[in-house]
Amino acid sequence: MTELLSQPEFRLALENAIKGREAKNASFSLAWANGELTREHFARWAENHYHYVGPFSDYLAYIYANTPESARGAKDFLLQNMYEEELSDVRHTDLLIRFAEACGTTRERVVDIENATAVTRGLQGWCYAIAMREHFVTATAALVVGLESQVPSIYRRQYPVLLEKYGFTEDETEFFDLHITADEIHGERGYQIVLEHATTPQLQQRCLQLVGHGAEARFSYTKALYDTYVMKPDTPVANPEPALA
Amino acid sequence: MPTIRFTTSDREVTFPDGDEVNLLRVAIRNDCGIPFKCASGNCGTDRVRVEAGSEHCVPPRRRERDRLGDLLGHGYRLACQTYVVGDVTVAWDPDQTEMELGSRAIDRLKQVWLTREDTA
Ligand code: FES
Repeated sequence: MTELLSQPEFRLALENAIKGREAKNASFSLAWANGELTREHFARWAENHYHYVGPFSDYLAYIYANTPESARGAKDFLLQNMYEEELSDVRHTDLLIRFAEACGTTRERVVDIENATAVTRGLQGWCYAIAMREHFVTATAALVVGLESQVPSIYRRQYPVLLEKYGFTEDETEFFDLHITADEIHGERGYQIVLEHATTPQLQQRCLQLVGHGAEARFSYTKALYDTYVMKPDTPVANPEPALA
Repeated sequence: MPTIRFTTSDREVTFPDGDEVNLLRVAIRNDCGIPFKCASGNCGTDRVRVEAGSEHCVPPRRRERDRLGDLLGHGYRLACQTYVVGDVTVAWDPDQTEMELGSRAIDRLKQVWLTREDTA
């Protein structure tokens, strides 16, 4: 039977569960950072990304409802995270749509899930299932540690090239700038909550499993963008891509 | 190894050479006590005075410039927005709260919840 890990051992294990599956190393991320993409590729990215991050507050709300009063710090973290996502400033999905429009696509195309790949729809479904069905600590591990905590390492590579290589403005790319720092803090708080509340070997092992699944899901989602829009095999999405101005 | 000194809470944290670390993340991870709220450069709750080593802080980006304004020139930074690459010493008022209530958040909430007549 697996023993309960100490908090430093458990943190290391959580970090290792992501290693080797980081989305920053997926083909689409690498092509982005290397300056090999076009605005059309970014438009397709935004049309997919919306359906993964757009419902993030919904995912968190399910976790919030499953979190007991005794974990008040975790509840407050989730509520603050939702508030920042939706109401504290410009709604984060509106920042994403602002970027999408700068890439030549439209709000209508972005919000239409027919324009997302099957893998993107699968990632969204996985996030909903985890948020609804898992213990609050394993769901936090999956969505905040496995997914959200990876964001700074992805965008810190991708944001400067958007300005310097692809010629976007600071205003058009605020979505990325915002998440570099916000998700740094959300990720750290996520680790703290998981370390504090995963108090049995079973919970710890389930957290590790779901962090691995989350990292794999995000990696697959990012790779599928490359396969679909850069390699262009015979797997089109339902709505054909418009010719962009 | 570079050291971040948190004088208000009398804590010191080292990090590996060559790393670029987020000041608030380091503070949270090591229970150094910097107050914070939004983590997005909006509220200003986590403003710190850089007492030494400002040259080891990565230059502020737009959100931080917009939020702090003149305070930047007086040595203040927002911990959530600041990345550090070498020795730095910071201090803050342990009781500090958000910078001002009339923030964009309030405007946004009014927009969402109140009708034009309500806000008139
Ligand atoms: S925590 Fe709000 S500005 Fe940094």
